[in-house]
Amino acid sequence: MSPASLAAELSERTLARAGLTYLAEPGDPALGALLGIAAPEEILAAIKADMLPGTGPGCGDSPASRAALARALGRWRIRLPKLPSDADIARLCRDGVRVVCPQDPDWPGGLDQLGPARPYALWLRGPGDLHSSSERSVSVVGSRASTGYGAHVAGEIAADLAERGWAVVSGGAYGIDAAAHRGALATQGITIAVLACGVDFPYPAGHAELFADIAAHGLVISEWPPGRHPARMQFLVRNRVIAALSCGTVIVEAGERSGALNTARHAAELGKPLMAVPGPVTSAQSAGCHRIIREWGASCVTRAADIIDLLSPLSATDAQAPARAGSAGAGSAGAGSAGAGSGGGRGPATSPGPGPTAPAWDPALPYDDLDDDSTRVLDALPARGGAGTSTIAVEAGVDLDTVLRCIGVLAGYGFIERGDDGWRLRRPG
Amino acid sequence: MALARTYSVALIGITGQVVEIEVDIANGLPAMILVGLPDTALREARDRVRAAIVNSGEEWPQRKITIGLSPASLPKRGSWFDLAIAVGVLTAAGKVPRPAVDGVMFFGELGLDGRLRPVRGVLPAVLAAAEEARFGTVMVARQNAAEAALVPDVRVIAVGSLTGAADWLRGTPGLHDGLPVTELEGGQPLPAGRIPSGGSGARGPARHDAARAAGLGAAPTPDLAELLGQSMARRAAEVCAAGGHHLSLLGPPGAGKTMLAERIPTILPRLDTTAALEVTAIHSVAGTLPPRVPLLTEPPFLAPHHTATKAAIVGGGSGIIRPGSASLAHRGVLFLDEAPEFARDVLDALRQPLEAGEVVMARSGVTARFPARFTLILAANPCPCARAAGPAEGCSCSPTTRRRYLGRISGPLLDRVDVKIELEPVGRAELLNDRSFAESSRTVALRVLQARERAAHRLRGTPWRLNAEVPGSELRRTWPPAPGALRVVEKSLERGQISARGVVKVIRVAWTVADLAGRPRPTRDDCDTALGLWLGVRR
Repeated sequence: MSPASLAAELSERTLARAGLTYLAEPGDPALGALLGIAAPEEILAAIKADMLPGTGPGCGDSPASRAALARALGRWRIRLPKLPSDADIARLCRDGVRVVCPQDPDWPGGLDQLGPARPYALWLRGPGDLHSSSERSVSVVGSRASTGYGAHVAGEIAADLAERGWAVVSGGAYGIDAAAHRGALATQGITIAVLACGVDFPYPAGHAELFADIAAHGLVISEWPPGRHPARMQFLVRNRVIAALSCGTVIVEAGERSGALNTARHAAELGKPLMAVPGPVTSAQSAGCHRIIREWGASCVTRAADIIDLLSPLSATDAQAPARAGSAGAGSAGAGSAGAGSGGGRGPATSPGPGPTAPAWDPALPYDDLDDDSTRVLDALPARGGAGTSTIAVEAGVDLDTVLRCIGVLAGYGFIERGDDGWRLRRPG
Repeated sequence: MALARTYSVALIGITGQVVEIEVDIANGLPAMILVGLPDTALREARDRVRAAIVNSGEEWPQRKITIGLSPASLPKRGSWFDLAIAVGVLTAAGKVPRPAVDGVMFFGELGLDGRLRPVRGVLPAVLAAAEEARFGTVMVARQNAAEAALVPDVRVIAVGSLTGAADWLRGTPGLHDGLPVTELEGGQPLPAGRIPSGGSGARGPARHDAARAAGLGAAPTPDLAELLGQSMARRAAEVCAAGGHHLSLLGPPGAGKTMLAERIPTILPRLDTTAALEVTAIHSVAGTLPPRVPLLTEPPFLAPHHTATKAAIVGGGSGIIRPGSASLAHRGVLFLDEAPEFARDVLDALRQPLEAGEVVMARSGVTARFPARFTLILAANPCPCARAAGPAEGCSCSPTTRRRYLGRISGPLLDRVDVKIELEPVGRAELLNDRSFAESSRTVALRVLQARERAAHRLRGTPWRLNAEVPGSELRRTWPPAPGALRVVEKSLERGQISARGVVKVIRVAWTVADLAGRPRPTRDDCDTALGLWLGVRR
């Protein structure tokens, strides 16, 4: 396929947004504001033509903002010689790099929380699906100068998360970042490396192989176009993406002045769950973690299960079923009994709801997820004691295969369990 | 030059190696020397052969006879070289025309009176002979003829005695002993009546051999439908049969564990020709082939007692290495009833065959391999007192005792088990309700056969044939279930009901469930069914 025909396949919008990443530094408020009111291809054309773009109503036509925009235009025009042709971008896309823009199906919704600081576009390398993996993802970040303890814990947590189907998000640095990626890769999970340079530029060079591994199984992403070298400021700008992309951020080890605390601040500002792994009180490498627990109210976590417990009510399960957001959002206390009560005479209503201390065991949460057959099978179970599968089938009026399948669903969600005399309703507690 | 050559086969495990027997008759004091690493039974061949030749009315050459067995470095064991040695002596002495022994493989033990006795391992030996094009004919004892004739493209000469053998070689069959010499063309369909009629008629383990030998088609047929009230267990049996998954059964006495295990062979597909020859070869070496029914076409069912030794289970023996139950159950079922009562080292010895699909035994000089790809079924009582756990029955075992009892089955062994089922004594309501769901073995066997074909088609080009054989890593990489199918399974994982390793097993079983349902890929329904099977055990 010729580059020209490939270029035709990429939409104008995508090409324009990809081009803008070459011209403006990510997080440039002027461009962010412009993109809110004008189409990217118009903006790009205006920059090329040296006209002030986006002079419509509502863009703040005060002289000061006009001056700021003019300055920005000058800034962006400096890089015009570096702007590749559409065919060049298409050629990059043929070599395994993808561009993802807002409103694309692949675009992670979490980034929209950044408002004007939202990336113009993301460059991707790797087979993963950014949208769905980011919906169940945890950022695991920390110090470059990690201790053996930190690297171990980061690896364990990442491996455990990946094994339970959560994606791991981290930077590309030595230390905690690398340990987290390696942990997730070890269990064949999805891991996402967010770089502060082009996705084709291995920085640090010692991680070239690690990035190749991630690109083979997960995703390497960046706001900077391919070929861009890293610079000190870029790492701090990049951190907001790590925080916004994932459902929550875990700081494994961080010194008092660690860059990981910058990511933590972004997460806190975005209102995302912030977690920290404690370390020895004598370790300087854990001082930052202890500080954010003490001063910023970060949750103290020690293993993947803690993290999932914290994130679960907010994560994909509810995003997929907004109808239930109300009862889940009401907090763990009371949600159980409310859900069971609304069941109106169905199975669990006969037993009191579980205590507020065990939200993860609350069968009321997936109740709406049950299909008709499963509900029927659940209703067929006796209120006391157990029943064999054939008896359940006759009571529910469904065939045996269906009963066996529904038993899997109900036992998996914790509605029922195996007892002395067959299957019975699960007692709370 | 009084030198003659004849050929026989030495067996290493179930692999045959052609052995050349050279007989040299030279001047010197009358003596008979046997060289080439013979064992005791073979060394005694000197006396048997001498007596047999003399008692058959032949003349014993009163000179120095040297018999060399080559390859000389291979240890040779057993008594089946007798015939080859005797014929070699007669040929070297000029009593039998030299061209007549060309291209003939001899296999049999001689009695002192010259009778030819049947031996074990004829099938693998003839298979080895058939591999070399120069041996078109094998001579065996009459009782071994049917077994030898299973091998295609081989002419089988069945004789009753050394006299008969010599007559046939001289071109005058039946001249002296008056017994007809039977010639069979190998690879032909066996004469009717040799295979017991009724197929599944003699499949119960207790009746395994006896009924088959007697041709009892009317023996009561065990049927899966008899396992009334255990619908989940029946389904588990079907899944295990279709996917080759190992199965663990837990339950108090009388719940139907043994009954279920015995019925699994009735839903397994019959062995194809290759598998049947493999299985028959192992049973031939072990000497457990029923007479007159040489080819085992039904999957074997082995239920060793829990006092069995390691050698009995995996095979062994210092002289002739004999296959154990694990190999005899090749392509069939190995049922360990009261599994915790087995010695720990016996159970652990099963780990290697479960992993590799074969038993490898090293002895000085040789390494024998026996195929051992079986479906393992473990059955256990929940506690050592073996009384049901209800309040009235009065089991007095403490939780620690129970845990320790089941803990005797080591973790690595249980790791290989994909399906665990708990059976409970059945109430009257369940019995009544289950009547409309019980399916006969015939119905289930058809589904199993189709599922196996589907799996084999999918796994073509890989070293595996059954879902149970596919390693977990490969399963994740090449054959993941449909997207979103693991929703409930993941939920279960998050709640700690099931481990990450358990998830792999659920996926593996889900593939079999999908195969049984005729779906190209496990859907959420299949994964949920598999999860239900996995969670059907109390913790």
